[in-house]
Amino acid sequence: MAVDTVGELGFPYWNPLRRRFPPDSPFFASGNVERELLAKQVALDFTEDEITNLQTIVETESRRISCPIVGCPERLKSLDNFEDHYKTRHTASCSVCSRVYPTSRLLSIHISEAHDSFFQAKVARGYDMYECLVEGCGLKFKSYKARHRHLIDKHKFPTTFEFFKRTQLSKKRREKLQRQRVPKLKHEEDKEEASSDAMEVEDKASLDGLVSALSTLTTSDTTPSNVSFGRRHGRGLTFVPRSVHREKPTNSSSTPGSKT
Amino acid sequence: MADDGSASNRRDPIKSSVGNVAGQRRRQQAVTVAKERRESLVRAKRLCRVGTNGGDEDAHVENEMMIDEDQPVLEAQTSKAVEELKSAVQSQGKGAMQKRVTALRELRRLLSKSEFPPIDAALSAGAIPLLVQCLSFGSPDEQLLESAWCLTNIAAGKPEETKALLPALPLLIAHLGEKSSAPVAEQCAWAIGNVAGEGEELRNVLLSQGALPPLARMIFPDKGSTVRTAAWALSNLIKGPESKAAAQLVRVDGIVEAILRHLKKADEEIATEIAWIVVYLSALSDIATSMLLKGGILQLLVERLATSNSLQLLIPVLRSLGNFVSVDPKAMLTILIGGQNTEENVIGVLAKCLRSEHRVLKKEAAWVLSNIAAGSVEHKRMIHSTEAMPLLLRLLSTSPFDIKKEVAYVLGNLCVESAEGDTRPRIIQEHLVSIVSGGCLRGFIDLVRSPDIEAARLGLQFIELVLRGMPNGEGSKLVEGEDGIDAMERFQFHENEELRVMANSLVDKYFGEDYGIDE
Repeated sequence: MAVDTVGELGFPYWNPLRRRFPPDSPFFASGNVERELLAKQVALDFTEDEITNLQTIVETESRRISCPIVGCPERLKSLDNFEDHYKTRHTASCSVCSRVYPTSRLLSIHISEAHDSFFQAKVARGYDMYECLVEGCGLKFKSYKARHRHLIDKHKFPTTFEFFKRTQLSKKRREKLQRQRVPKLKHEEDKEEASSDAMEVEDKASLDGLVSALSTLTTSDTTPSNVSFGRRHGRGLTFVPRSVHREKPTNSSSTPGSKT
Repeated sequence: MADDGSASNRRDPIKSSVGNVAGQRRRQQAVTVAKERRESLVRAKRLCRVGTNGGDEDAHVENEMMIDEDQPVLEAQTSKAVEELKSAVQSQGKGAMQKRVTALRELRRLLSKSEFPPIDAALSAGAIPLLVQCLSFGSPDEQLLESAWCLTNIAAGKPEETKALLPALPLLIAHLGEKSSAPVAEQCAWAIGNVAGEGEELRNVLLSQGALPPLARMIFPDKGSTVRTAAWALSNLIKGPESKAAAQLVRVDGIVEAILRHLKKADEEIATEIAWIVVYLSALSDIATSMLLKGGILQLLVERLATSNSLQLLIPVLRSLGNFVSVDPKAMLTILIGGQNTEENVIGVLAKCLRSEHRVLKKEAAWVLSNIAAGSVEHKRMIHSTEAMPLLLRLLSTSPFDIKKEVAYVLGNLCVESAEGDTRPRIIQEHLVSIVSGGCLRGFIDLVRSPDIEAARLGLQFIELVLRGMPNGEGSKLVEGEDGIDAMERFQFHENEELRVMANSLVDKYFGEDYGIDE
């Protein structure tokens, strides 16, 4: 890479610096505890185990780990607890493309937007399908870009945030995509980009056909005739794609056909 | 053993709820006592269980630690003992002195042989004014000793109990003088050490009452338990975080010489307390730091690290070394060049600490190494060529998190030259390649996944080095191979914006659309 684009974004490169700590810094806490325990050991006759236990108690009482995932209030007692918590709560993974999301709600939004042809059909027909990612907001948008703009403007998301990031595909998929891409002309690619807005699907050609075929279908049997836009907060999704099986419905309107 | 009658009473389920309440209260007391015990164990105060005199009269009970009595009984005995003392203090004439010593001794026994000394009971009964009276000038040594001993153990308790010693401080300080007998001076130093260990406020009181100079003079002799106790008390007195006590200490004539002498020759017990004094001096006083360096302290510290196996001693010696290294890079240069024999040079002793089974030593040794590695290219080369490297690589994979983080600092610092001004720091490719092929990438990616912001940042910064600096663009494949991309994508929903941007920019730049296309 000749041009340093990372530099423009201000990446804080590793720079060796000396680190100095004052005597009462928490950095030295375990050494200080050790000092006192060892001094009293002779008089009070601890075993090695007792000392280790005491050390751990003193340290863990003061140090709780806050889960760093946005919106998660959990504070864990130890690194192991944190790892367990992260694995159970924040690794909802997509069975189609293996992307991982920190909540099941976001996972199901992803599945609708990336793998559900009915979703794309609705988008193509002009419905507001892209919902705001912030739980409780309730707003929906006609395009990925419009929702993205809303997240930045209304909810102060960083401009670099990408819900649907292009991720590393396996070598096989990369090669497949390349073979499909090469014969296409540049301007056609741009047009597709605009309509599907960064959506990435394994087999674009067949999907296009599917979307056009589906766009003539009515979908009244799977969607509520009224879709509420943020009238009632906290209701979450009012539309659930039929193809998605949700383990835990978060609200009463998750069954198809319900009216709001 | 409790007799069957009372035992069955307690266990009898038919008994009324009163029994349950008492049982609950006992359990509750046990829990609070346990917490209090834990806290007392990590406080900087120390109970005196065996007197400075050797306690020859008590020789037969010296090893009897616990008074096996119920706490209320103990408290009642304490109040009684204080009453006895009161009447003894008031009495005159022949035999009055003996009466006082006997009463003091009884109180002292209650305060030093039980597991949870009845300090509160003693204070409530009005012990302090009596003990202060017993400290008056001209009193016989035995009386001074027992009184100071009682005060020592009262001061070893909770903060409010320690503060109760305020009226006694001027007399305790006075008896530190060279005219006092050694055991008396030592016992007074001990009491003062406990008071100083309580907190900054009491330390300031002691300083304003002139405690520091006489205490400092007590460490001039070559050996003896008095030197040890006084050094411990002194370390509590100067620990800061304000620096004025440290600054005052270094101005005492001959103190630097005494410190260096003890570090060189004294037994491990004295050397341990002296080393703690050095820890605080090196952290809080620039003057002390330069005087000690000029006096050759680094070599002395290295020798102690090389020859000792006492964890008690190694901790403050290592930390002192760390403090000096973190402050003065020039000092580092001189010692690194000086050491010939591998065992006795700095890197060698730090490697010895890395090999230790003790967490504190491993962590702080890695910290010291990270500061040396932050120095010149010569320093980096020196570390890189030693036995420390395989140790560090192993620790990165296997050690607990806090040690891992420090080791990460060492390894990263070895791979990069310090930047001048705004330029991007230059990678030392030779070091980077050897460290990466030593298998460090997995450990750094683990750091990226941790909830600790500083660690995650370190991990991302190292990944950037690998991506940028590995030859032939191998970096990307290596990072991918260790699930690095996955780890970086975790940051999409991370609450820390800086980390999100860092991770995103790396993924965009090195794993963008064009990734893998030229294969």
